Order: sequence, then C-alpha cells, then structure tokens
Amino acid sequence: MEQLQVTDLQVEFGGLRAVDGLSFSVQEGEILCLLGPNGAGKSTTLDLICGKTQPTDGSIQLNGVEISQMLEFRRARLGIGRKFQVPSVYKNLTVDENLSVARSRRPGMWNALTRLSLTDAREAASILDRVNLGAKRHEMAGNLSHGETQWLEIAMLIAQDSKLILMDEPTAGMTIQETERTAEIFRSLSDNHTLIVVEHDMSFVRTVADRIIVMNRGAMLAEGTIEEIEANEDVKTAYLGH
Amino acid sequence: MSSKFQYDLVALVIFALVVAFGVPAVMNYDGFELNTFARYLALAIVSMALSLSWGTAGLLNLGQAATFGMGSYAMAMHLKLRASDGLPDFMGWNNVETLPWLWVPFESLTFTLLAGLLVPAFIGGLIAIFMFRARIAGVFVAIITLAFLVAFQLLFINQQGLTGGQNGLTGLAQMSLFGWTVDPYSMGFYNLVAGCLVVALAFGVYLTHSKFGLILRAIREDADRARFFGYNVASYQTLVFCISAALAGWAGMLYTLVLEFASPTYMSVSFSLAIVIWCAVGGRESVIAAAFGAIVVNMLEGRLSDVFVEGWHLILGVIFVLVVMFMPRGIYGLLSDSVRKIRRIRRTRDQRGVETFPNT
Repeated sequence: MEQLQVTDLQVEFGGLRAVDGLSFSVQEGEILCLLGPNGAGKSTTLDLICGKTQPTDGSIQLNGVEISQMLEFRRARLGIGRKFQVPSVYKNLTVDENLSVARSRRPGMWNALTRLSLTDAREAASILDRVNLGAKRHEMAGNLSHGETQWLEIAMLIAQDSKLILMDEPTAGMTIQETERTAEIFRSLSDNHTLIVVEHDMSFVRTVADRIIVMNRGAMLAEGTIEEIEANEDVKTAYLGH
Repeated sequence: MSSKFQYDLVALVIFALVVAFGVPAVMNYDGFELNTFARYLALAIVSMALSLSWGTAGLLNLGQAATFGMGSYAMAMHLKLRASDGLPDFMGWNNVETLPWLWVPFESLTFTLLAGLLVPAFIGGLIAIFMFRARIAGVFVAIITLAFLVAFQLLFINQQGLTGGQNGLTGLAQMSLFGWTVDPYSMGFYNLVAGCLVVALAFGVYLTHSKFGLILRAIREDADRARFFGYNVASYQTLVFCISAALAGWAGMLYTLVLEFASPTYMSVSFSLAIVIWCAVGGRESVIAAAFGAIVVNMLEGRLSDVFVEGWHLILGVIFVLVVMFMPRGIYGLLSDSVRKIRRIRRTRDQRGVETFPNT
C-alpha cells in the first residue's frame, strides 16, 4: 500500500526553485534512498515532508490524508519522524531524558503533567542497548562523541516509533563498524517502519536501499534499484558533470 | 526516581523545617519580625513562579508584577468591602454613587480567592496564546510582557474611581477564614504564609520533575525539535505561563494580607525587575533556589537600608553586578557546580589510589 504520495511538489526560495515538480510514492515497509549531488534538493524534500518548510505548490499525502499545509507537530502525530543532518539532540539533557522526550506517543499536556520525567525513558532502555548507549544513560548528551550523538538521535527516532522515518545523512561521521551496525538497525526497523534516507555513503545505500531516487536540480533524475541506477547514463553525467 | 529529584525533595524538607520552626525561633516569636519575614515568604512565591516560566521554559516574563498586582488587588477589594459600610470611601471622593459591578462579587471570600488565582491565569494565558501561537521567543517575550505591564499599570492608575488610583486601597479589614480573624502579626498568620510557600514549592518541584517539566526544558533548548516529536509547543508554553501567573496572583493575595494595603507600585516595572533579580540570585533553574534568592535579597535589603540609610541601593547594585558576572546561574549554580567538582576530584583520587596501590 502506498504510504506517502508526493505529487508535483514545488518550493521556491526567493526565485530559486529548490524542489521543482517532484513526484514519487513510498510503499509501506520500504527503505527509499534519496541520492544526488549537493544542492539537488534532497534535504529540502525531507523538510517539505516533515513540515519544516512549506511548499509553494503540490501535494503531500500520508495514507491518503493531505498534510502539506499542516503544522509540523500535527504531522509528527500522524506518524512522521525526522532525523536531521546536523544531529539535533538536547545537549543539556541526559541520554535518558532525551529518550523520554522522544517517546511521545501521547504528546498531550495532561499525560505530561501526570507522569514523572523518566517513566518513559526506562521503558525505552532496551533501545539504548540496541545502539550501544546503555552505559551512558545518565551522561549529558552534550558530552557524547559525534558518532554517539548520531546514534542517540537514531535511538530517539526508534523511541518515537513513527510509521514513516526521514533520515538525513544518518551515517555521517561514523566509523565503518558503526555504519554497518546502523545498516543492521535500519533493516530491522523496516519490518514495521517506512524509511526515507538521504545518504552519500554508497556501500551503506547498497546494503539498505530497496529503491533509489536520484535527484538533480530539484527534480527526479532516475528511479530504480541500485543496479539500474549504477547503469544509468544520466546519473553518471549529473555526478561527473559531463 | 532520579537523584536530582531526591536532592530536591531533601532540600524542600529542610527548607520547610527551617521556615516553619527555625525562623520563628530565631525571631523570638516577635510579631513584628514575623510579619516582616512573612512578607519575604510571600515574595518568595512570586520568585519561584518566575523560575517556572523563566528557568524551566526559558520564557523571561517581565510582566510578572502585573499578575502579582491582580492577586493583590483581588484580596484588597474583598477586605475593603468588608471594612466599609456599602460604598468604599474613595469611591465617594471620586463621585461614584453605586458599587461598580466589577466589585460586587468580591463580597464573597470564596470568589475572591478563586479570582486571585484565575484572573491572573486567564490574562496571562491570553497574552501567552497570542505570543506563542505566533512563535515569539527569546528577548521578544520579555519586551512584550514588559510593554503589557506598563500599559496595565497605567490603565489601573487611571481608573481612579474603580481602583483607588495612585493611592491604592488602604484601610482594609482583616480577613476572616472559617471564623478565624487573620492578624498579620500573629504566629498563626506566619504559619499560613509559610504553609502556602511550602505547598507552592512542592507543586513547583513536582512540576519541574514531571514529564511536563522535561518537555519545557526540551522546548527551551530547541523548540523546533520538540515540534517534530509531536509536542504542541505553544500550548505547553501557554500552560506554564498560566501556572506562573496564578502563583504570582496567590503571592499577591498574601502580600496584601501582610502589608494590609494594596498599591499600584506592586505593578511597577522596578518591582517586576526586582523579581527577576531575586530569581537570578537564587538560581532560576530550581524553584527552591529562586524562593531562597527572594528571601536572601529582601533580608539583605532590609538590613542594608537599616545600616546604610543613604547608600544601600548602591551596595545592593554592586552585589547584583557581581552575582551576574561571577555566578550567572545564581547560588544554585554555584552549589551544583561545586558538588560536581568535589565528585570529580574524589573520583580521580580514587582511581589514582587504585593505580598506586594495586594490591590493597
């Protein structure tokens, strides 16, 4: 079943069309990778889906519901989670507290008022073991290394448990082993989540992607499996510039 | 239960014991001294109220004095009606013939107590909705609340027939609560104010350690990130503003009882800034520290103005400058930093001990 349907999406920033007439759809349980040279509009596409940026034209439908004009917290409640390119965790909160904030299945105030701050984090403790942060539960997130911060944000998205997760360069700054571990986590996530991943690491893309969309200048250049993309002449031209 | 929560509970118990038993003993149960200290305790409530919105949620509310004044006037209106036969005296001087409709419900003590909490909460909430739905943050919150405070005080003073204008409301009766006439110079009254403060602090400690408090801290750090987790940031900010305003109103009601009059100076900019200073000196991250800051600064003010009749403002000013420069997180920050430092020194010493004597 189609979970996300993007049609003729367009956004303009002062005359520059960052995304120009983009259409694609994502199936439930799929891992879709967005590739493309710098400035192709990959991150902007994620911004448009999660509500950080408002589109100038076009439609975004999540399970048949039009979401392109919704506020971001409403989209999050409908099941869209986002990991940012620059890892954004709460540096002044502990790892546990970060997880507790992320675990937001009931984001209303009454629920928040009647619970202690860490009740939810404890429930989510097994997630921390999954990303090897179990020993750092009481550490301030600001004291984590870059790779650990990346994983904390991934852990937060697992805790948030969104149906559709948007990942912007999740393996940037990770070692090879960490990247492999991340790929494993992504594969197991895809059992009951849909993922859209922006990534430059081709070996990572090769391991996780079910399908790939290559973007260039805000539009779709090619779509297909990894083999089809690697054989595509247009893609080679776009990347190598001739 | 986190260790921080345990520390806060211990601090709360110690604070409550000192305020309830220690202070009256030191004051020799002297009525005048107790009244003076009860005044500090009432101000401690408004300071802890500010620490909820400023310290926890990062919203610097410079209009706190307005909500404090609303509570103060609600109580004063009730006591004024009780003190006068029919029309309050100042209304006669202003050619007001009949009791204005706004005053009528204040005949009832129950209404007065509710209004003292809910009117500030409602008005605070109204401003908050406009600000936070428009995603106004940072210094602009301070500017808007300050502007509101100035406008509100001006309006209040201009409605002389209704509010007593510049003179405020004086010649008040004493409140009677369940048949008990509240004498502001009695031990019973001191206990009432101290009890109110402890209850307010317990509420504040719970709030800061609830998930609500955690989300507010998350919003303070990165509001957008919280939105992408599905939290309605504006409604969280609005609610904390309402709670803070209601607590300020509560403090205002007690303040009127202590001083036995209400004055428009309670809604002045300088009073609002003073609240910020108490909160900053104590430490805005902790409600208990903020309350402590209010008591310390006010005591200092009292003592300094006794000794240095001329220059005490200057001395106080220098102290504030020093606090901001050398302890930006207040007394609380100083304490928590030193606890952390001692722990780290102890840990490294333990480790070194293991290295030097591996066999012991």
